[in-house]
Amino acid sequence: MFFHIVLERNMQLHPRHFGRNLRENLVSKLMKDVEGTCSGRHGFVVAITGIENVGKGLIRDGTGFVTFPVKYQCVVFRPFKGEILEAVVTMVNKMGFFAEAGPVQIFVSNHLIPDDMEFQSGDMPNYTTSDGSVKIQKDSEVRLKIIGTRVDATEIFCIGTIKDDFLGVINDPAAA
Amino acid sequence: MQMSLVTDSPVHSSSSDDFAAFLDASLDSGSSEETEDSDQLETQRVKRRKVDKMENIEELQDPTSLPPSLEQTAEASMKKDVCTHPGSFGEMCILCGQRLDADSGVTFGYIHKGLRLENDEIVRLRNTDMKNLLRHKKLYLVLDLDHTLLNSTQLIHMSPQEEYLKSQTDSLQDVSKGSLFMLSFMHMMTKLRPFVRAFLKEASELFEMYIYTMGDRAYALEMAKLLDPQREYFSSRVISRDDGTHRHQKGLDVVLGQESAVLILDDTENAWTKHKDNLILMERYHFFASSCHQFGFNCKSLSELKNDESETDGALVTILKVLKRVHGMFFDELEGNLVDRDVRQVLKTIRKEVLKGCKLVFSRVFPTGFQADNHLLWKMAEGLGATCLKELDPSVTHVVSTDAGTEKSRWAVKHKKFLVHPQWIEAANYLWQKQPEENFIVNQTKNP
Ligand SMILES: [Mg+2]
Ligand SMILES: [Zn+2]
Repeated sequence: MFFHIVLERNMQLHPRHFGRNLRENLVSKLMKDVEGTCSGRHGFVVAITGIENVGKGLIRDGTGFVTFPVKYQCVVFRPFKGEILEAVVTMVNKMGFFAEAGPVQIFVSNHLIPDDMEFQSGDMPNYTTSDGSVKIQKDSEVRLKIIGTRVDATEIFCIGTIKDDFLGVINDPAAA
Repeated sequence: MQMSLVTDSPVHSSSSDDFAAFLDASLDSGSSEETEDSDQLETQRVKRRKVDKMENIEELQDPTSLPPSLEQTAEASMKKDVCTHPGSFGEMCILCGQRLDADSGVTFGYIHKGLRLENDEIVRLRNTDMKNLLRHKKLYLVLDLDHTLLNSTQLIHMSPQEEYLKSQTDSLQDVSKGSLFMLSFMHMMTKLRPFVRAFLKEASELFEMYIYTMGDRAYALEMAKLLDPQREYFSSRVISRDDGTHRHQKGLDVVLGQESAVLILDDTENAWTKHKDNLILMERYHFFASSCHQFGFNCKSLSELKNDESETDGALVTILKVLKRVHGMFFDELEGNLVDRDVRQVLKTIRKEVLKGCKLVFSRVFPTGFQADNHLLWKMAEGLGATCLKELDPSVTHVVSTDAGTEKSRWAVKHKKFLVHPQWIEAANYLWQKQPEENFIVNQTKNP
């Protein structure tokens, strides 16, 4: 799920960035520091969309660095247990398949793939129904349900399942 | 990342505190690593309790509202209760999603970061995979890299006579045709063993192949790129020392194949102490000077001699024939159920044909006082099907010695028996074929 929220961060800035472009420097450093990172609490920061306010700077003794409290708006992404997600398959093997939805790494174990889909090895490993009508392989797009999530500093891990109604392949690259 | 600053948000907007509280409440406990003040914690606890309550209600309602025909759902929830947690991904159970201990089970990082499997699950996967594989008439093949499929050297260890190689390296753009590569970013040069490309292509028809190296992960992946640029042979089956479960040892525990169906090619026997019966020992490929020195050879290297192993008659050609023979015997000659067949037995049988009918006596090959039948050469010869005797008798066919002047050596000459150097046995062991005795004649030692 995506959220648009306001977060706060203390930004340390080197004195060389002071002057007319202070605000721009602050914003670009913020974007560099924050976009693409994860926090256990908020999930993955997709993009900063605006600056709410920049607080008073505090000069650090000895170094000349200044710390600014910055409030910013951003779009974050975090998956939830029970959420339905669309993802792209990155790897298929005998254990199941891995898929990605942006920064989220999802594993769907073969226990949670419908029983009528069987693993086929080869240079393009896949799970296929016995009649061959549905096939999951690398680059397939799948709709899955999240049954577990864990967010750490840089990555979000999820356990997914496609063993339920309306889940599974939504586009087949081989058929395209 | 490109983006524009917008002040007005089209999406749902809320203050971050509310959001965090909402998130925490909807998450399982223990997922928040940040410290909060007690006030905030209290509100969260309340919210969490509320959520718990709601879930409880749902669960309570479940059995009553559930029509008996909806067995699937009941089964699913039952499964949830008794989940055996067969493995984990990102420290969550791959079956029920519950958070698990970080260090339970065997790690399969080479397949995907964060993946671990419990023993029962490994056994289950091996069983189902084995059936699948046998149906395709394939076995497993685990391949070592260094000295088996290729030879690498650090650039700083290259000798002056090897300098010429630096102008002969092949392009990294299309590695599929080259065999000598400069990997400057790793400060290394790598030479692929002659015939390796044809070897992999043919072997891939008969085996599901793994790379298993004592090198680190970065090196293993780089070598896999050179050997398999199209990723048609190994997929993610590249195991490095970072992925093993024991230091300085290679083990089949991280290989998802039944041990009775795995063959291993490696030049280092000691790496596989637990799986010697699966091992086909490779003659070491030393191309670079540093590699020769590392193993104590003071001769010129192939590179310094501007020479190489034969493309048509080298070690990989020989071993491919052996692999085909093992594969053929496993599927076509053995009787009984496929799943009950054992590739280790097949390997043993084929090995025993090599020196079948030879009766050997050793002369001054073993140190005095050494228990002869414990010696590596004795065991090797027996493994190759020869009979080893301690004393001479008329049935003896070969005397093995490094010295033509010993009593037994002279007996051999006198009775027109073969007198061969111990290397005759080693050569047969590497080549899987009895070698012409005249290539292993024994010289008279000058100082007896
Ligand atoms: Mg080796
Ligand atoms: Zn579980």
